[in-house]
Amino acid sequence: MPPSDPALSRKVSIVGVGETDFGADYQAERKRPEGWVPPTEESLLTNAFERALADSGLSREDIDGVTCSFTYGGPPAEEVAKMLGIKARYAEANGNIMAGPLPTACAAIAEGKADCIAMVFAVASRSAGRLFGGMTHSTGGVPDPDGEGGAPASYYYFHPWGWSSQAAHWALIFAHFQWKYGVGEEDLYHVAAQVRRHAMARDNAVMRKELTLEDYLASRYIVRPLHLFDICIVNDGAVCLIIRRADLAKGLAHVPVDVAGWGYSKIKQNKMHTMVREQLRPQLQAASTDALAMAGVTLDQIQHFEGYDASSFHLINQVEGIGFTPPGTGLAFCKDGQMTVGGRIPTNTSGGNLSHAYMQGWSQVVQAVRQLRGEAGQYQVPGIEVSMTNLAQTDQTHPIVYVRGDR
Amino acid sequence: MSGETADGPRYIGPKRPDRTLGGNHDTFWDWCGKGELRLQRCGNCNHLHWPVTVRKCESCGEQAFTWEPMSGRGKVVSWTTFQQDYYRGLMAVPYDTILVELDEGPLFMSNPQGFSWQDLSPEMPVKLAFLDAEDSAGTFKLPVFERG
Ligand SMILES: [Zn+2]
Repeated sequence: MPPSDPALSRKVSIVGVGETDFGADYQAERKRPEGWVPPTEESLLTNAFERALADSGLSREDIDGVTCSFTYGGPPAEEVAKMLGIKARYAEANGNIMAGPLPTACAAIAEGKADCIAMVFAVASRSAGRLFGGMTHSTGGVPDPDGEGGAPASYYYFHPWGWSSQAAHWALIFAHFQWKYGVGEEDLYHVAAQVRRHAMARDNAVMRKELTLEDYLASRYIVRPLHLFDICIVNDGAVCLIIRRADLAKGLAHVPVDVAGWGYSKIKQNKMHTMVREQLRPQLQAASTDALAMAGVTLDQIQHFEGYDASSFHLINQVEGIGFTPPGTGLAFCKDGQMTVGGRIPTNTSGGNLSHAYMQGWSQVVQAVRQLRGEAGQYQVPGIEVSMTNLAQTDQTHPIVYVRGDR
Repeated sequence: MSGETADGPRYIGPKRPDRTLGGNHDTFWDWCGKGELRLQRCGNCNHLHWPVTVRKCESCGEQAFTWEPMSGRGKVVSWTTFQQDYYRGLMAVPYDTILVELDEGPLFMSNPQGFSWQDLSPEMPVKLAFLDAEDSAGTFKLPVFERG
């Protein structure tokens, strides 16, 4: 991913977005009606691309670049370009989670490698039955990932004690937070419930039933102290973003959304300490400061935030860590309505990874675009001009700042 | 089979998911086999490592390690209890894990021995013990922690 650089700010605009039918596809996979065919990365990404193309109002010939992001496998970028009928002079596989891919594609446009890129992400992890823990794809039988002198990438070393999964990271952080700040599981409930309320207003959300405190507390634990509803859903889907040189992005179907700034920071040592005791705050501070500086805006000007709610509590890590509310106050902040429209920072207004769809950070970008265009419906932030997304893994964080391109 | 008992601490069996082995990892487990918890200390910057460092110091990048014995004393920093069966029946759920801050500094992921999550309190003192365990590479001694 290219470093933060004010010279790259606002050089590229998002001009089209497309998503698959997350909720309907999820229900179909659960019910598996007669004749149901499991989706593939290819079928999903084609659907998302056609929708993004229609949304942009551009024609296929306007697109001269493709990037592909697949969580598991998938065809090479050149093949995807052919499949989509795009004559691509730039075709790259470009990471998977929404972190590096967007800044990297923006830099490619700034370097003249393409003028207009269709960025596709697709994942079929639900129908493939992926488990996000144990001796599975990311850990079992692979070469030692601790090659480049960093903290270990994952729970790779802790298998003999039975400690694994992304969920366990967030549970470990929350259990420590509970002791430190004297909060209970019922305090955490408000995060899952708030995100769920946002999802209930979205037609294509996977989870659209109101989440009561009773439902929440009665749900099974995944890794105590986190319940089922504290962990992101696993669903199939695809997202496509069409991005274009900013000077070519005016007069299209929608107000362009400019990519204004980005940042990146990773834990360099003592991962457990930084993760559990500091909730990734040093990284969140450093990366968001860089992203805001590149964009030329202040934190006070951010009017909407889409965080990476891999778990309910991880969203609080980000809201506190970036500085929307002081450390230790995030749960009260949420309960008080500060994370929805009318509060300080409307957050995950589409329903996030917890309730809308788990698209590894890509649908957060789509929601930022919808907010900045004024298309966010019931949870539209009035008068919004600046939005921020953030993808945060266990040891690193990647904020991106967007502004309406008509400013 | 369930790891939960009605009124006593739960017992986690000897069958375990596979260790990371090879190179420095083998050295770590060899010391465990002798009843010692030893971690790598950087001879250049003094940084004490956990998990095992394969190539170079995470702090200064040098490769001059000594295997330093730990006192085996520590305190509980956090905990998690697994209900989800991530290891497909290999370990009976639910079972507890604790994050222990060793007196020497590093945070060490482990299991409680002889107590469970209901007994935990912040900064609760614990002390090292070894459990006879087994994975697909054979039997080994697993460092766990008792009430200190
Ligand atoms: Zn060193």
